[in-house]
Amino acid sequence: MALVYEFVWRVLHALLQLQRTIITWLRVHVWKWSGRLWKRATAALLVSLALGFPSHKKIGTQTAKRVSRRVRLRTDEKALEKLPLHVGLLIVEDDHQYTDIANLVVWCMAVGISYVSVYDNAGVFRRNNSRLMEEIMKQQRELLDPEKRRTSLELISHSSEQQEPVLSCQTVVKVLSPDDGKLSIVRAAQQLCKSVEQKERTSTDISVPLLDSLLRESKDIPDPDLVMKFGPVDSTLGFLPWHIRLTEFMIHSAVLSLTGGQEAGGKACSRSFRSALEQHSRSLLTVNSPGILVNGFQCLNAGSVLVSSSSLPSHKDVSYEDFLSALRHYAACEQRLGK
Amino acid sequence: MSWIREGELNLLERLFANILKAGPMPKHVAFIMDGNRRYARKRHVERQEGHTQGFDKLAETLRWCLNLDIHEVTVYAFSIENFKRSQEEVDGLMQLAKEKFLRLLDEQENLRKHGVCIRVLGDLTLLPDDLQRLIAKSVVATRAHNKCFLNVCFAYTSRHEIANAVKEMAWGVEQGLLHSSDVSEALMSQCLYSSRSPNPDLLIRTSGEVRLSDFLLWQTSHSCLVFQSVLWPEYSFWNLCEAILQYQLNHPSLQKAWELHRESQAMQQLEADRSCVAELLHHRGNGKPVDSQARQTALLRYAASREERVRRFLCTLQQKRDAFFDHMSGPTLDGDKAAKAKEEKTAKGKKGANPAENGEAKADQAQKVEATADAK
Repeated sequence: MALVYEFVWRVLHALLQLQRTIITWLRVHVWKWSGRLWKRATAALLVSLALGFPSHKKIGTQTAKRVSRRVRLRTDEKALEKLPLHVGLLIVEDDHQYTDIANLVVWCMAVGISYVSVYDNAGVFRRNNSRLMEEIMKQQRELLDPEKRRTSLELISHSSEQQEPVLSCQTVVKVLSPDDGKLSIVRAAQQLCKSVEQKERTSTDISVPLLDSLLRESKDIPDPDLVMKFGPVDSTLGFLPWHIRLTEFMIHSAVLSLTGGQEAGGKACSRSFRSALEQHSRSLLTVNSPGILVNGFQCLNAGSVLVSSSSLPSHKDVSYEDFLSALRHYAACEQRLGK
Repeated sequence: MSWIREGELNLLERLFANILKAGPMPKHVAFIMDGNRRYARKRHVERQEGHTQGFDKLAETLRWCLNLDIHEVTVYAFSIENFKRSQEEVDGLMQLAKEKFLRLLDEQENLRKHGVCIRVLGDLTLLPDDLQRLIAKSVVATRAHNKCFLNVCFAYTSRHEIANAVKEMAWGVEQGLLHSSDVSEALMSQCLYSSRSPNPDLLIRTSGEVRLSDFLLWQTSHSCLVFQSVLWPEYSFWNLCEAILQYQLNHPSLQKAWELHRESQAMQQLEADRSCVAELLHHRGNGKPVDSQARQTALLRYAASREERVRRFLCTLQQKRDAFFDHMSGPTLDGDKAAKAKEEKTAKGKKGANPAENGEAKADQAQKVEATADAK
């Protein structure tokens, strides 16, 4: 009998994986195509508006994209009611695309987010800090207005000496690894224990505010308000455990994994973040769309409702719309803070 | 048993449970039981009723966990932040907790039979004295049981837990039991309230919120996080299966990430030991170079002495914690009787206002004659 159950289990998981693949394929080949049409139409309209209508010049596609994106960034910054102060970009994928991460960082800057952290659990971005920085500078030149570029960016690198803060800095970018998580708490604990050993303080002096002040270091960077997780693993994988007590996560839901998960490698297309996150914010009682097993669950338990799909499949080829939707979702969240 | 509902799964549920069990199963599941108040609003009942239904759902969920061979469950019952709620609601929750712990003490025989060990994690000194005593009695009464474990986080936040662990280590240093260089990630884990439990494999939060709210932040760094939109009092067996399926899909990646983390931890410990040994040899050797064989021997000896020191410290820490509960659970002469009388009085008053109760006696062990048969 155990063999039968095992066989059924394998079939079930194979079906789930197949379902994920089909949904991802649909996203890549159908939704992205229709999204692209929409984007082209919008780009054309925005370019005309930006450059004066009608324009007799023939504008190249790349230039049109850049101009339309810049116009879009300006309007989007004003449209977002509530912005997170600090966004964490949590990459739980094996393959790392520096350009896509750089895009995300620059979009954060453009809409006015003050602090951005980039994290992966293998410490790859931390080790290749300078490469990421170069990519961010490059994308900054591509995507931002000249005036925004001048004031924008401070990059904090642990490998280099502590930098002086840029006076007119708008966005601080930190590149993090697991060493900034539990290990930094352990180091702070060692520091406190050493001061007790040297009779500089007693154990009763140790409190949450004291530990918090040690873990903040000197930069006084606030806790992340929002973490955007990219990749199929539903875990924080060691990201800043002390700092994420009230952080909102853009993360898989159980239903998502059944109906519209993500591809771990290759070109994972992004379904529009905007609609996914707007759905998520309204979706406390929204029943999800298709999926063999989802419908199965619905039949078996009519009273149960499932979160609609809101995923960040991958940072690779992530679209600006996806990013913006995550921010709109964040704006809709309500923190009760225990009350 | 009021804390774990009696009953078995139906045929379909049993079938699906057997299929699920063919794959990797979580051994320890943590729940953030969110949504009681929204449920109460939705059903147009009092908030307190929502919380009571939430407790009933916990009892049912624990039964499902046992049916699925999940033998350790941790629940977030009351956060330190929840003290910010209205006095009425906080008092109601404290009263509910007292009633449930009282009933638990009534059912000790059943708990012994099922081998249920209750642990309460949090800063219990923030709670009313009488509730502290009830909790201590429950913990002491079930301490030796080892078939299944229920960890209730009460007056808990993860940051307090972590800061408390650091405080305990600093106390160890003050007592001469530890060196500051002994502080490590492994030792931190052993000093948390949850030191006797493995890390949760799966954390489930209901009601659609997508944050951790200061719950097990250290312990869940490599756990599968599942956020479900269902309100806690409406949680079903299928919701639990859904979450377990999610865990099973994530299992290979999580294992891999955890192994990577363990390797890194081992490297850090080795580096720390090497650095301590180098310093020791430098002091002893008076500047003379030490050969690698001697260095290796010194390293092994140092590691062994560190482990022995840590083991003794942890033993002392556990004794300190057990002594706290033993002391709290002991009789307190008149104070105890007065507290019991007060509880009965409040319980009688509450019975009329709280239709969720089954109408069984809520009276304590000494006052069972007061029970009325107000059956539904």
